Amino acid sequence: MANIASKQVLTVLGKQGILIAFVLFMVIFSLANSNFLSLDNLQSVIRSSAILGVMALGVTFVVISGNLDLSVGSMMSFSTIVVLDLHDKLGPNLAIPTMYLMTLGLGGFIGYLVGYLRLNSLIVTLGMLSAIHGLTLTYSGGQNMDIADKSNTWFGFFGRGEIFGLPVPIILFILLAAFLGVLLAKTPFGRKVYAVGGNPTAAAFSGIPRARTVFTCYLISAFCVATAGLIQASRSMGSQNTVGQGLELEVLAAVILGGASLLGGSGTIFKTVIGILILGFIQNGLLLMGWPFYVQFVITWIIIILAVWLDISVKRGKLWVSN
Amino acid sequence: MNTKTLLTTAVAATVLMGPALAMAEYRIGITQNNVGVDSYQTTYERAFIEAADANSDVRAVVLDAGGDVARQIAQVDDLIQQNVDAIIIWPTNGEAVIPAVRRAQNAGIPVVVTNSNIAEQGFDFIRSFSGPDNVTQGRRSAEIMCDKFKDMGIEDEAQVVHITGQPGYTTAIERAGGFEERLPEVCPNVEVVDTQPGDWNREKAQQVMEAFLTQYDDIDGVYSGDDNMGVGALNAARAADRDGIIFVGATNFAVGYDAMAAGEYWGSIYQSPVDDARAALQTAIDVLDGEDVPFLNYFDTPKITQDNMDQFTKPVF
Amino acid sequence: MISEFIKRNLSTSAIWLFIIFELLFFSIAGHYLSFSDGAFMDLNNMLLLLNQSAPIGIIAVGMTLIMVNGNIDLSVGAVFAIAGIVMLDSMTWPVFAGLGDWVIVVSWTLALLAGALLGALNGLIVWKTGVDAFIVTLGSMLGYRGLVFMFNGENPTSHLNWTLIDFAEAQFLGFNTATWFLAASVLVIWLVTRYTVHGRNAYAIGNNRNAAVNAGIRVGPHMVINFVIIGFLAALSSVVFYSGSGSVNPNDGQLYELWVITAVVLGGTKLAGGSGSVIGTLGGVIAIQLLRKGLGYIGADTSTVNLVIGLILIVVLFIDRQLNVKGAQELRV
Repeated sequence: MANIASKQVLTVLGKQGILIAFVLFMVIFSLANSNFLSLDNLQSVIRSSAILGVMALGVTFVVISGNLDLSVGSMMSFSTIVVLDLHDKLGPNLAIPTMYLMTLGLGGFIGYLVGYLRLNSLIVTLGMLSAIHGLTLTYSGGQNMDIADKSNTWFGFFGRGEIFGLPVPIILFILLAAFLGVLLAKTPFGRKVYAVGGNPTAAAFSGIPRARTVFTCYLISAFCVATAGLIQASRSMGSQNTVGQGLELEVLAAVILGGASLLGGSGTIFKTVIGILILGFIQNGLLLMGWPFYVQFVITWIIIILAVWLDISVKRGKLWVSN
Repeated sequence: MNTKTLLTTAVAATVLMGPALAMAEYRIGITQNNVGVDSYQTTYERAFIEAADANSDVRAVVLDAGGDVARQIAQVDDLIQQNVDAIIIWPTNGEAVIPAVRRAQNAGIPVVVTNSNIAEQGFDFIRSFSGPDNVTQGRRSAEIMCDKFKDMGIEDEAQVVHITGQPGYTTAIERAGGFEERLPEVCPNVEVVDTQPGDWNREKAQQVMEAFLTQYDDIDGVYSGDDNMGVGALNAARAADRDGIIFVGATNFAVGYDAMAAGEYWGSIYQSPVDDARAALQTAIDVLDGEDVPFLNYFDTPKITQDNMDQFTKPVF
Repeated sequence: MISEFIKRNLSTSAIWLFIIFELLFFSIAGHYLSFSDGAFMDLNNMLLLLNQSAPIGIIAVGMTLIMVNGNIDLSVGAVFAIAGIVMLDSMTWPVFAGLGDWVIVVSWTLALLAGALLGALNGLIVWKTGVDAFIVTLGSMLGYRGLVFMFNGENPTSHLNWTLIDFAEAQFLGFNTATWFLAASVLVIWLVTRYTVHGRNAYAIGNNRNAAVNAGIRVGPHMVINFVIIGFLAALSSVVFYSGSGSVNPNDGQLYELWVITAVVLGGTKLAGGSGSVIGTLGGVIAIQLLRKGLGYIGADTSTVNLVIGLILIVVLFIDRQLNVKGAQELRV
């Protein structure tokens, strides 16, 4: 009897575990600090999560298709530096599409290597992490990029603007999440992504083109990275070359926290968004309580493992593995 | 297969080619901390190469440790192996490089430390330190801030937050130490309410400041370990519409200079990477020429505020 | 017979051919570009190369075993930092004050023990929860780094002990201390993979986990042992390195996991598990160190170094795959 009950609890926990954890954190933090639930703070957390979040949306596609993308951080630095540089040379109207094209080019290159040449994505994107950093340094000569005249440009709209009182980065994040969520959940392309990642052999037999699907996932990831770079550039109107350094692992942590399996074939956009918000609120909550930033590392460690563990224990029907 | 043949050819090829040409009088090797991470270091590298190129007596081997102490130690060993005439080091960690510096000294190669000093146990093994006096910089920043508070008449109630540089980095520790030591001396009633690292990173500093702004309703001053972080903090304050905060930094960056001109940023410490690089190279040359070089060879880093900024040219980085 | 042997070893020998290519290239390019008056392929320079390869190399040896087993460990950089702190900090503990220089032995032991324990913790979580090693160690990469900071805040942990430094700088039969530890690690793990039941089972599990389970191999304990070994080796790499430098920054060891994995893959070990050798890994480590050394020797700047290292990684992966695909096709014919 108790066994059945505990199994039911487990099932509920596993399905909604990440949501429950999210709510739990919100309650704890708001009890600990009265500023936590203030509208200002909530907005500030979501706004600063937006950049990481936009990147995580694209990486979700890559991970579901059974691959990894460790290059997003250094690619984001590249996009930011390029768009800031081109802003003063070409004007924002031309700078933004040019930056998108260049970033998509990098994404396409990775997609070609992983999709068509079937090279291992971990190593390819690891190599690109270093190579793109080198490319950025070559492009900028290692100098910080700053927009010369910060007050006379509409470029700040993407990072600093507001529509009906809502910051534009948040709007961009929501729009992109909605669009990509529908693309993943409701379209034939989305089904292909799941099929290629979940069961490559079956996908091949049913005629799903693995190479093209994987390639497209990396293009989507690059598009998201470019958007993140745009928000970043627009927000600060100036940047150093390492602005995205290390973000790849935070992004990956959020995607995993949202329940996407690294073996491919599972995960959703909605859960990735929750994963991002959890990381964002933990970071902010601990800072508000005056705890040093590294406590957050330890807490993230624990909840990542708990979340994934819960998820797979439900699938296999028991908590512990014996052999 | 024919690995052996290839190896033999390779060996033969090197033997035939002999040593690379070396005509210059002094070969000076430098291993830097982390070029490309911010434009101070990039400008430093460029200025160093320019200065070395301009001097026909000097050939420079320019290396970068990428912030990794193991890589830096390997580079010092490489320079010893290449038997350069002098080594300039910008330490990634002021203590961990001491044994490597001792090896250089044992090999008869004089070592000059640049920008950020090594710990005292290593002083026996170096010839000179060339760079800014970071403790004094921290003290001066405290004075700039205090003076401004006195002008505003809030020296008895002001609350300050402090954003430090990369944890564990000598420059960051020295500046923070100088600031925290001097501020209570000049403004005993000003309270430093919180300190968090911004890692010399503008974005990180912006995030830290966002949290400070949410946490503390009353912030009168922000001291940042450099202007790069200071401008990040300024961005956060601007986004939150919090006016009237006094921003003081160090290492005046171009963005900081501009923000000062715009009246949004109060003051900083003027420190030029070009001076820094030239001073390091000149110190090494002086050592090699056998001249008497002061052990702590500081170059001057004056205060710069909105009041006197017209006496300084805009930084190039 | 011989051609079959070559075919089987093509993937590992590719890395040695690449090393020879690097040596040739840097010798020739250095002739025109370098300001050094010493030749690149000087014996002392090559000995130094081995010495410099040790920090990444010793960890990479353990990573080979982990990856052959079908797992991965992203936490090695953080374990490297923790072990260094344990070693340097414990030398100043009042408990050991009466030991004199014998404290070195105690501190080494404590640090190695800490590494093995952290490895065991990873291994047990991977085994008992069934969560993928990538996720478990991505988590502990963060978590262990948090522990590093908790130890001493954001300040470096330092202790200069000249006896220890002299030991780290010592030479025996022409090789440095670090080189000996690297060689010993390679030898021991090579013996383990070749001649022990545990080694053979690690390959079997990596090759086909279900088949291994069906054959009665207990997968879990083997994984835990491998994680203990890599934890121990990460700590060994750390104590050897910090013996010669005496100060740990809380950020030390960051990105080591990526360089270690890179070296292992360059050495021909498959990420999917089941194949690979520590000898190949040694080649991968040397290839990377040689690349760094050579690029510095010919005066390449920071941006070029990053660009070249990243692209070479992809090119080697590509060539390696072409060679293997070709080999596999020929075998089928």
